[in-house]
Amino acid sequence: MTHTNHRIGDHLEEDYVILIMPSKGINVKGSAAKLRKYLELALENGAIKIGDARLGNEYHQGGVDKVLDNLQDQAVVQAVFKDKASLVKALKAYKKADLGLSVVVSGLFDQVTECIKEAGLERHTINQSMGRWGKTDRLPPTEILQLNTMCGHGMVGVGLIKEVVEAVKKKEITPEQGAERLFAPCMCGIQNPHRAALILKDLTA
Amino acid sequence: MKIDQDLCIGCGQCVPYCPVGAIALGDDTADIDLDECAECGNCLRMAGCPVDAIFQQELAWPRTVRSVLSDPLTIAEESGISGRGTEEMKTNEVTGRFKLGTVGIGIEVGRPVTGARFYDVEKIAQAVAQLGVEFEKINPVTSLMSDPKTGKFKDDILNEKVLSAILEFPMETEKLPRLFEALKKVSGEIESVFSLDVATRIAPDGSVPTDPHIKPSGLWLAPNGKTNVGLGRPRYQEDKS
Repeated sequence: MTHTNHRIGDHLEEDYVILIMPSKGINVKGSAAKLRKYLELALENGAIKIGDARLGNEYHQGGVDKVLDNLQDQAVVQAVFKDKASLVKALKAYKKADLGLSVVVSGLFDQVTECIKEAGLERHTINQSMGRWGKTDRLPPTEILQLNTMCGHGMVGVGLIKEVVEAVKKKEITPEQGAERLFAPCMCGIQNPHRAALILKDLTA
Repeated sequence: MKIDQDLCIGCGQCVPYCPVGAIALGDDTADIDLDECAECGNCLRMAGCPVDAIFQQELAWPRTVRSVLSDPLTIAEESGISGRGTEEMKTNEVTGRFKLGTVGIGIEVGRPVTGARFYDVEKIAQAVAQLGVEFEKINPVTSLMSDPKTGKFKDDILNEKVLSAILEFPMETEKLPRLFEALKKVSGEIESVFSLDVATRIAPDGSVPTDPHIKPSGLWLAPNGKTNVGLGRPRYQEDKS
């Protein structure tokens, strides 16, 4: 339900995700070809990653082409952007293509609202995060959570994050290589490796 | 998930991939604490075990619940989509699920990091059920309740551990303060964490109808979230009942 909704921490101004999905019983039939078009338009307009929540990310499927080729009706697909200019270009392309599937943008509300307006669109419905409740003293510090919460399914675990941070600190891998290691378990492909690399640089400076 | 103790060479490569820390490295081999394992499949997919010692054992009820609510590639029968929830607000412009005056609530128990046992999910469900909410029928978590009116779950799943379980329901916007009070109270009675979502239709004048109910509460509200931009077709006609 909410897999891009609870991101916290730094560099959120360089973190935007577009999610596209058909609706069961309404516009599912024939949606696979449309989903492919949405992802192609995303890549043409600056998306840094794409993913399919039904069959897995590019590592799991064996490449970006496989993600596109294997799309099924009723898939839920995503595209990750690192800047507002690309996001606006993609949204304008979606408006022009008018393919009729639902499009949701995840990111800082003030920034996203500006981009939506610039693309000639309007906000219809929003989903707000009211944070973490319950036994929150069990949670790791924000410096770890900001990497963990980029995968809403929790596949980028605390142990892996700590291992990657240590490897970057020891200069065994670069922050960019570390960010790709953290992206790989995120089956939907919504982890933002650009932002993750920025955070890894901060944590290891 | 299990590790074949005869094959494992104790390299430890799988250990960091477990999101709930259920894999421990002993003197000679790594092993999985089955009580803690949420059956998410991450170790099998990602660890690259050099001797293929990790394997998926056959899952039977009630352990199957773990896989459905933890492995992101599992398709839930109820929703027809992968993941743990539903279309919720993502398709609201075509479904009309959340109309003006109604908010969509998502309480994702176990997220982030801690995972959750169903006895905690039940405590929260029973707390909010007292507000008269109706849990979303096509959410797979609702199908695990023995009595959706009270939020009671089937007894045999109460100790099952999942990465997260989402309680999902619509409610009148003006009831939000009562929900917050109920959640504050139950927060002190559980061992898990949960993340809270509030989805709302934007008003015709561009305002956010939840603002008068959330801002006075003093509760933390994220500066980021999700925005449906209304491109889905056919568009739900707001004036139809």
